[in-house]
Amino acid sequence: MPVDVEARRRLTAALLGAEAALPPDQLTDRAARGRLIGVSEQTLHLATPAGEESFPFTGTTSFWRGGDAAPNELHPGDDVVLRYAADGSRVAEQVWAQMARVTGVISSSHEETVQVDIGHDRPSATVVIPYRVSGRMRVRHPVLEPGYLFDAIGVWRDGEVHAVLPATTQPPYSVRQAPRRPLAYERRSQVSGMVSWYDPALGHATDVNPLARLVGAAYPALDSASDCGDGCERRQSCLPLPLMSLGTTFSLRNDYTGDTAVLPIVACGAASAHFCDRCAAGAPGERGRLAQLTLLSFVGLGGTPTAGCFNATMRVG
Amino acid sequence: MLDILREIQLPIVALVLLLGAIAKLTDPAVRGLANLLPPRLHRPSTLVHGGIEAVLAVALLVLVGYPGDIARAWAALLFAGGVAALFGLRRRDPEMGCGCFGGLSTAPIGWRTITRAALFAGAAAAALGLETSGLGVLGDFTTWHGAAVAIEVVLLAALSPELKEFALSLYHRDSCDVREVPLRRTLSRLWTSDVWHLNTAMVVGREPVDVWRQGCWRFLRYPGRRGERPVDIVFGVPIDGRHSVVRAAITDVETGARLAILGEVAADIRRFRPREGVGAGAAGVSTVRAYRSESV
Repeated sequence: MPVDVEARRRLTAALLGAEAALPPDQLTDRAARGRLIGVSEQTLHLATPAGEESFPFTGTTSFWRGGDAAPNELHPGDDVVLRYAADGSRVAEQVWAQMARVTGVISSSHEETVQVDIGHDRPSATVVIPYRVSGRMRVRHPVLEPGYLFDAIGVWRDGEVHAVLPATTQPPYSVRQAPRRPLAYERRSQVSGMVSWYDPALGHATDVNPLARLVGAAYPALDSASDCGDGCERRQSCLPLPLMSLGTTFSLRNDYTGDTAVLPIVACGAASAHFCDRCAAGAPGERGRLAQLTLLSFVGLGGTPTAGCFNATMRVG
Repeated sequence: MLDILREIQLPIVALVLLLGAIAKLTDPAVRGLANLLPPRLHRPSTLVHGGIEAVLAVALLVLVGYPGDIARAWAALLFAGGVAALFGLRRRDPEMGCGCFGGLSTAPIGWRTITRAALFAGAAAAALGLETSGLGVLGDFTTWHGAAVAIEVVLLAALSPELKEFALSLYHRDSCDVREVPLRRTLSRLWTSDVWHLNTAMVVGREPVDVWRQGCWRFLRYPGRRGERPVDIVFGVPIDGRHSVVRAAITDVETGARLAILGEVAADIRRFRPREGVGAGAAGVSTVRAYRSESV
């Protein structure tokens, strides 16, 4: 049965007060996403649900398409996500095309291809590790065998994810061997850790697919009695994450940029509970992952998708 | 005095080995050093490790002379090997506990744990060459032995993160916002609350149409009728149920307006905190009465 998240927030606020269920931010003033129609002189033309939208860019705007790229290397039809300049204008400051990411537990591997279980509520993902990046991948993912963790940034090519760079250092043991984490005895008003990102739209039809613009987070500590449900294999996170449900909102601050937003929980992020790593981008933070933000939320909160993570602080109403 | 210090190492090391053996042989979870081995060897290696510790503990207590020295040398080697393994384990996963005393040793391996293992290795080696056994030391126990044991126990306590974990597990429960609680326990708490009994006339059905969680609260939504108007009745059941009270809010389905809010009439009425818009101000009882007068 679909969850009425609006009713949940309304009723939570009715019972505990408005501050317990803050309305989520939309982040439309910080980032945009759509399908590329074309690139003209200093302007990107994207197909979005609002029709064709134009986004000017400058000479300092950075472009990525499997690596640093020039504007004219982007192809019509590409899935494009961009962040606006910090001055509040709609000028694109950073642009990423065909971004992909696969995070989860390896279920099988064969030659250049790895099958990854990315969560009980999502179809498994296939990643191609091209020969030219296999060395870079092997350094931080030495064991591509079932049961071992996998997290890589990639690019969509012909409907497949081609790995470009690793997003973490793989632990040297399988998930079955992972240590049990100690429980938290003290209640904390806020929790710090790293956040990563995922693409709920899987790069498909991002001009019309509402998942492409979904704002929120997949959360690794959903209440097993309600939303995590059957088949949930959520393991104990190494962070003391409060148990929550779909629709619950929380405030998240990017500890590096100071950007803050209220985000709703939109999916189960059980796969990220396996990871007990630190974000290599920026100053060292706490071990463990708070949440997987949707790609648009991650970019809107100041994250760089190619870095894969940022340190953040979460506060629940 | 030096001989007394050497002698007390025998019963102390034997006791430590015995406690470690009991923890390893009775705890089915895979912990600590076993994680350095392939998965199929986890349980067997834990059992073998526990078995060796038990045998050495008994040997330290009863053997004298050359056989006793062999047992002491093996105990020293076991602890020295443990120091090396702890370094390896810490390098592999800094968050992992040593599992030295089963489920109590879940704190990340730190310098205290490693120092303690090295101290035991030294203690077992210091007992080499003694003419007596562990039981012999206990049989000739003097005040000086007692004082030396007391000092060493204090030292070992300072080097044992397990004591803090033991105290926490004894006196604290895990935080309510991370605690897994079965839904049936929440329902049981709800159905025995005064708030539930006050609302049963309005609630349609006994099973909620939606359940969700936010930290220390679990919410249950029921459809209901208030006169002719359809309403949503949401109950908030605290996970930390010892002191907090069950709450309920009634909202209009069509307008979403909050019609009433009330909390359980708790034994300690001072704990009740009425929310704004309830009508009555300071006392929970008047809130409930006000609601009753509207709904009956």
